[in-house]
Amino acid sequence: MVNLAIDSIKERTFDAIVVGSGASGSWAAKEFTEKGFKTLLLERGRNVEHLKDYPTTNMYPYEFEHRMEMPYADQQKNPIANRCYAYREDTQHFFVKDDEHPYIQVKDFDWIRGYQVGGKSLMWARQVQRWSDFDYEGPARDGFSVDWPIRYKDIAPWYSHVERFIGVSGNNDGIPELPDGDHLPAFPLNAAEDHFSKAVKLHYKNRHVISARCAHLSKPNPIHLEQGRVQCQNRVLCQRGCPFGGYYSANAVTIPWAQKTGNLTLRPHSVVHSIIYDETKGKATGVKVIDTNTKEEMEFFAKVIFVNAATLNTNLILLNSVSNRFPQGLGNDNGIMGKYVAFHNYSATIGADFDGLQQFRTDGRNPAGGGYIPRFRNVYRQETDFLRGWAAGFRAGRSDVRDTSGIGNDLKEGMLNPKLGPWRVSSHMMAETIPKESNFVALDADKKDAWGIPLLRISIDYDENDKKMRKDYYEQMTEMYEKAGFTNIRTRDDNRRPGNDIHEMGGVRMGHDPKTSLLNKWNQLHLCKNVFVTDGACMTSTSTQNPTLTYMALTARAVNHAVNELKQNNL
Amino acid sequence: MNRRAAVRNLLYIAGGALVLPACFRKSGKASIELANLAISEDDERLLAELTETLIPATDTPGGKELLLHLFVLKMVDDCHSPKDQQQFAKGLSAFSAWSEKELDGEFAAANTDSRVKLLDKIGKSDNEELKKFFSITKRRAIQGYMNSRYVMTNLVKYELVPGRYNGFAPA
Repeated sequence: MVNLAIDSIKERTFDAIVVGSGASGSWAAKEFTEKGFKTLLLERGRNVEHLKDYPTTNMYPYEFEHRMEMPYADQQKNPIANRCYAYREDTQHFFVKDDEHPYIQVKDFDWIRGYQVGGKSLMWARQVQRWSDFDYEGPARDGFSVDWPIRYKDIAPWYSHVERFIGVSGNNDGIPELPDGDHLPAFPLNAAEDHFSKAVKLHYKNRHVISARCAHLSKPNPIHLEQGRVQCQNRVLCQRGCPFGGYYSANAVTIPWAQKTGNLTLRPHSVVHSIIYDETKGKATGVKVIDTNTKEEMEFFAKVIFVNAATLNTNLILLNSVSNRFPQGLGNDNGIMGKYVAFHNYSATIGADFDGLQQFRTDGRNPAGGGYIPRFRNVYRQETDFLRGWAAGFRAGRSDVRDTSGIGNDLKEGMLNPKLGPWRVSSHMMAETIPKESNFVALDADKKDAWGIPLLRISIDYDENDKKMRKDYYEQMTEMYEKAGFTNIRTRDDNRRPGNDIHEMGGVRMGHDPKTSLLNKWNQLHLCKNVFVTDGACMTSTSTQNPTLTYMALTARAVNHAVNELKQNNL
Repeated sequence: MNRRAAVRNLLYIAGGALVLPACFRKSGKASIELANLAISEDDERLLAELTETLIPATDTPGGKELLLHLFVLKMVDDCHSPKDQQQFAKGLSAFSAWSEKELDGEFAAANTDSRVKLLDKIGKSDNEELKKFFSITKRRAIQGYMNSRYVMTNLVKYELVPGRYNGFAPA
């Protein structure tokens, strides 16, 4: 019996454990396994294997019972999931349904989740931009949150490392606030987007409309072919999973790569209850896992643990990791874990018409989506009555206008003989929000989920700064639209609830000082150095850029550090 | 597999491109299983005539052949609110009675011209029941037509794999 127990512990012992198999977790697994570390990758949801588990990927619109619309009953049952732009009949199987995994909304919050191997990297919007020192120095300069413990130079090589591997299409635009990268060719702006870009350049000194940078293989390099991927085929059906591996997902790229090393153990259906802390050793020794099917509780052990469960679940796991030493959650002596959660404010859009350039139209589809306007507000100096600023997406297109006013032959003729409509342009705001103590998540004292894990209470809201920024977005974009000759300008508050941007960040923030932060500059818990957090939970501030590229770069950098520390027996 | 399920599956698989014989059942019920709508065989036949009038067969298939009436029923049954469903059902009965009065006989028996003229009248009428029913039916019939396998593979081709993007294509 003694031997059996020892064998069993041996079988459950790894060099590294990674909790969560999305973009950041799968990156941790890839880096560890490549460096020869036996790695256990835990995922609470089911397995989704590249190619095999994309049931809708090659379906035509007419093969969907409701032509991709969600039925009324589903809309009633899952209002949160249904508010996500990507939740449709062809993608719904990759999203968490509201009633499957409840949480407590102290304030309205749409928590959009993907509980499966690959996480949300299957359905993400694939926009990837580097942060600059205008972002990393932001909190220190503008007096909010705490100072980031890293600067651009610390992470720049890791951005390159990630970009080269995943494939990022984009130009090097030479804009200091949006650093150049290791890019594949960009998907060029179309005629009307290019017109806007030129008009903005003509009228403003530091405003730019550039090709959106996205994690697509516009022109694959040998490394991408080696991953079994080929050039993006402009389907723009990405959220179904891509049979070409045209965009980066954990499923298509990092997980199979890690598996090829022979060092990966992938365990789906494994929800992590907590991290096990050993007081005598003064470090974490493993994780307590519950098999979601059998509800069996088990323990796995490793020298180092990466928590990449996605921002709010990472907070939940750490808060739930209580011990005599850490009664408020692992490493949470200062009590700020779960606090200073922030997000991106996407609640504004602006559209218009453009009568020019009628000689052009678009042909095919642009997987990048169109243009990107990097933040230009309050970059070099504070120039408004709100803190920080906003970036924006920008796109233009002409659609076929079909006259459906008739009946009978007239209607049929109208439907089958469209006229090419005018250019329509649209933009959406992507604004930074300021992390505050009052925006927080916490464990509910009583209510538990089906696996006995406390439910998360979420209390997150917009503030005055967000409202001022929205006003500024409308004003500035209207002025820019007018200078470009756009007409019939329409602004729209889309009243979306926080969370619907799917960019929640923070709660376990990085910083220099253990009194005011939880993670050090290497993403280690200040007070438990063999536990790393490199998903959105680690973010000290949110910037305006899409965050996933930064999570992946921080992850690769942190694994490299962990490996060096392990080699020197420092962990 | 029972007949209804078989028809439903065929409809699902074929995206509507399926021909049914004109008179093929005696149950008095609709030919597809509906969870919320109560639709009789007569209702269904009338809706088939209506969608055929909206989108007639020419040298290419029309509403009946593309089973647009079944698509309308399926969408109203699954994707509309109970309120919409009630209005649709009421409106369908109202349309049956109203058309018979206006045409002095069954809608199905009237010639194409009179049918088109009759449908034209709905837009101008102040009968909200009729208007609501007609607007749902027309919208869903158009959606069903444009998203049918026939149209998407023959008339307005849908490209699953474009493999290109040109932002300066000639208009």
